[in-house]
Amino acid sequence: MRGADYLLKRTLFALVTVFVAVTLNFVLFRALPGDAVSNLSHVPHATPALRLALQKEFGLDKPMWEQYLLYLKELSRGNLGVSFATQQPVWSQLRSKLANTIPMVALGTAVAIIIGIGTGVLSAWRRGTVTDHISTNTAIAFYAFPTQWLGLMLLILFAGVLPSVGMHDPFIVGAGFWASKLDALKHMVLPAATLALTLYGEFTLVVRSSMLETMGEDYVLTARAKGMKSWTIVRTHALRNAMLPTTTLIALSLGYVVAGTILIETVFSWPGVGQSVYNSVINRDYPMLQGAFLVLTLSVVFFNFVADLLYFRLDPRISA
Amino acid sequence: MTEALLDVRDLHVWFDLPHGAELHAVQGVSFSLEPGDRLGLVGESGCGKTTTILAVMGLLPPSASVAGQVILNGQDIMLGAEQTVRPHRWKDIAMVFQGAMNALNPVKTVGSQIVEPMVLHEVAEGAAAKTRAGELLELVGIPAASAARFPHEFSGGMRQRAAIAMALACEPKLLLADEPTTALDVMVQAQILDLLIRLTDDLGLTMLLVTHDLPVVAQVCERAAVMYAGRIAETGPMDTLFHDPRHPYTRLLFAATPDLYGEGDVVSIPGSPPRLDHRIEGCAFRDRCDKAFERCVAETPALLEVAGGHRAACHLNDLNGEGAA
Amino acid sequence: MSAIANEPGIVADAPRKRSRGGLVWDVIKGRPSAAVGAVIMGIFLFIAIFAGVIAPYSVHTQVGPVYGVPSAQHWLGLDDGGIDMVSLLLQGARVSLIVGFAAAFVATVVGGGVGMIAGYFGGKPESVLMRITDYFLVIPDVPLMIVIATLWGPSLSHVIFVIGLLLWTTTARIIRAQVKSVRERVYVKRARAMGASHWRIVFRHVLPQIAPLLVANVVLTVAVAIFDETALAFLGLSDPTAVSWGSIIEHAFLRQAISTGAWWAIVPPGICVALVIMGCYLVGQAIEDALNPRLKVAHLSVRGFRLRPLVGMDKDTL
Repeated sequence: MRGADYLLKRTLFALVTVFVAVTLNFVLFRALPGDAVSNLSHVPHATPALRLALQKEFGLDKPMWEQYLLYLKELSRGNLGVSFATQQPVWSQLRSKLANTIPMVALGTAVAIIIGIGTGVLSAWRRGTVTDHISTNTAIAFYAFPTQWLGLMLLILFAGVLPSVGMHDPFIVGAGFWASKLDALKHMVLPAATLALTLYGEFTLVVRSSMLETMGEDYVLTARAKGMKSWTIVRTHALRNAMLPTTTLIALSLGYVVAGTILIETVFSWPGVGQSVYNSVINRDYPMLQGAFLVLTLSVVFFNFVADLLYFRLDPRISA
Repeated sequence: MTEALLDVRDLHVWFDLPHGAELHAVQGVSFSLEPGDRLGLVGESGCGKTTTILAVMGLLPPSASVAGQVILNGQDIMLGAEQTVRPHRWKDIAMVFQGAMNALNPVKTVGSQIVEPMVLHEVAEGAAAKTRAGELLELVGIPAASAARFPHEFSGGMRQRAAIAMALACEPKLLLADEPTTALDVMVQAQILDLLIRLTDDLGLTMLLVTHDLPVVAQVCERAAVMYAGRIAETGPMDTLFHDPRHPYTRLLFAATPDLYGEGDVVSIPGSPPRLDHRIEGCAFRDRCDKAFERCVAETPALLEVAGGHRAACHLNDLNGEGAA
Repeated sequence: MSAIANEPGIVADAPRKRSRGGLVWDVIKGRPSAAVGAVIMGIFLFIAIFAGVIAPYSVHTQVGPVYGVPSAQHWLGLDDGGIDMVSLLLQGARVSLIVGFAAAFVATVVGGGVGMIAGYFGGKPESVLMRITDYFLVIPDVPLMIVIATLWGPSLSHVIFVIGLLLWTTTARIIRAQVKSVRERVYVKRARAMGASHWRIVFRHVLPQIAPLLVANVVLTVAVAIFDETALAFLGLSDPTAVSWGSIIEHAFLRQAISTGAWWAIVPPGICVALVIMGCYLVGQAIEDALNPRLKVAHLSVRGFRLRPLVGMDKDTL
């Protein structure tokens, strides 16, 4: 099969990165000095039975390497410990939070990609003109504005017009399925819009520069020599080729998506993983922080891997 | 006398340079091609030969300005710039670029790139187009099944053949080849040149071959035009140019080509071509010419007829000062 | 190689001569975007250095009501503690810029060092170092920063180190690539053949060559560092006693500036951050562009080539 080598290499890389992240997680939270941190069983207001159970599960009285192995074992079972704040298992909480984060992030990122590609192509097409300068500098500006500030700006601008807090209107009781979905969607507009605005700038710049690169390639001249119109060439040749480095660079911006999510969910009190991070920082809820960090990191590794697969699909030259 | 297929008259091309300056890359070039001709356009790199053939197809950037006529089958296709040139691309005039490595899009199959112009110019479509693409590949010596492959899977020589097959997709009358063999090794070069000769004979193509490599021209073309500093220095049958060159540049150019048997010294031409971003007074070659005299400094030589079909732009042919176009 | 690019004089944007001030100065002088960026950075650097002198009021004294509106004495109003916003912004410039530059410095030293070792020595060290770098490139920066900052405790030096230690990855990759290519240059090989020590080669030959790239990288890293500090401050992880633009936004958010309608407590600090980041980005990007001149002519454009009438040609051209 074509590129079996490449696929194997990238899968291996993803797995090792997961391993590094997991180990990092362990080292940061357990191997560092400080009793409050390393002792997962110090859940405030916990029953002695719970404390004992945690001690046993995570081997908190055993040597570090044994703890590490136990940590891995519990991880594979989905046990991330118990939240200091709620006395509930970390994973079950994070799971529902993740279900809230994903639609909002997906919407925001999709919009950012669409706007980014559109403006990037436009800027490259009209390189050097006023359109290009305006488009490029606007992209740089939105890229430069702090995400949380953009969120606050949108809040100020649309206060009263669009909901600004949380995911649901607490006063809608007993509403039908579609009504509550619509309500969630309305609440999703501002956070997703903030994410889109903060992300799109980088995409614009990347698409623009890879389009410019592509437009100078010889096969574009060949296409022109064949009698194709410029815009057709952009659509069928240049854009297709410019998508290759664009995919890679979008993958590299995943870290930015995560950072943005944390900040946005804090501003809008969106009940997702990002907000969990914020709350666990405020409350010094270490198991929750640890769990959220792991979830976020693993998501990024996963989507990076997806991007690798996508690149493989797009570029026939990759075989090893 | 048959009507010329391509008649280029007094072609000029300027390129904009920063700070309002201009590069006069092509300075009044004229030549014509009858059906079935194989004309070589020869010269050092930078002499304007590539720009000339790109101009024939109108493949110039927005920084370029053009003057002159490009008459294809009696019609000046340069009259309306891009608008009038574009309909003739690939259908009447097709081009094989130098370094076909990059002339083919790496993410599309070779076959699809041959089919593309067929569909565009409504020569064929669908399954018929695919079949025809396969036939073209066979014609240039590549198995038809490789149409499904990507350019990076081909060797350099095969890619160039594929580029030639692609150029023939819409059955053009005129084929422009820009250094088609420069990036290839010698054995492959010979094969490609043979292929070009065979195709032009079998298919009744007319060819304009641009190269700096004299042996290549000698092998393929019956006539040649030697360019220097944006102008034509001399033009005529290959034999005549070799045995009776009437321009010092032509003479030195042939002398600079090493003989296969190593006989005779390789003579290099001292100096380098002049910059084309300001006007040159007199003959552009005078600084490097071994036979230059006072008139060469003051007056630019016109391209004058020396014998039937043999013209040269050198005052040495016109010592009586008569001049004749 | 593009056909047209072979014609003399068609090469676009290739720098001819380096002036004595070096590439960075050339770029700033030559490209308007870089000049704008440099001016912006210059202004803010000036503000940061002289904040203590310029600030009209102290940042510790209350001079009016909570969220006082902008007025003639207080152009940008007052914050949640009744403190003058303009003074806060000037003071905040100091902290934000210090953290930004310091963190970028740490990142460049670490990343540059890693990249240098990997690129110069190659072989085993290179693959090991680059492998590690690759893993950390994938792991998202900000969550890791948040975790470390939470565990380590809030203080400026902690913030600086946390940001710096997590930004080394990109620098490492870029520097390594550049060092590798410089290593292959003739004069370096000659120096090695003559028996020059590694240190000497690095400092006399490699470093000067990669200097412009390092500068571009530092500048771009400063932009990211400031963004990260602003984020950390917003989440309450920066030094609570330090006034930075990020902490100003944090205070405004936590103390209901929005519902009070006190936009002046939120808008200005964000704009300041954005301006500095933009300035850094413009300069850094311009230097990078200058180092990688794009020699290609675009084959596609909206306009086409032009026609010129033959009238008015003198006899010479006929």
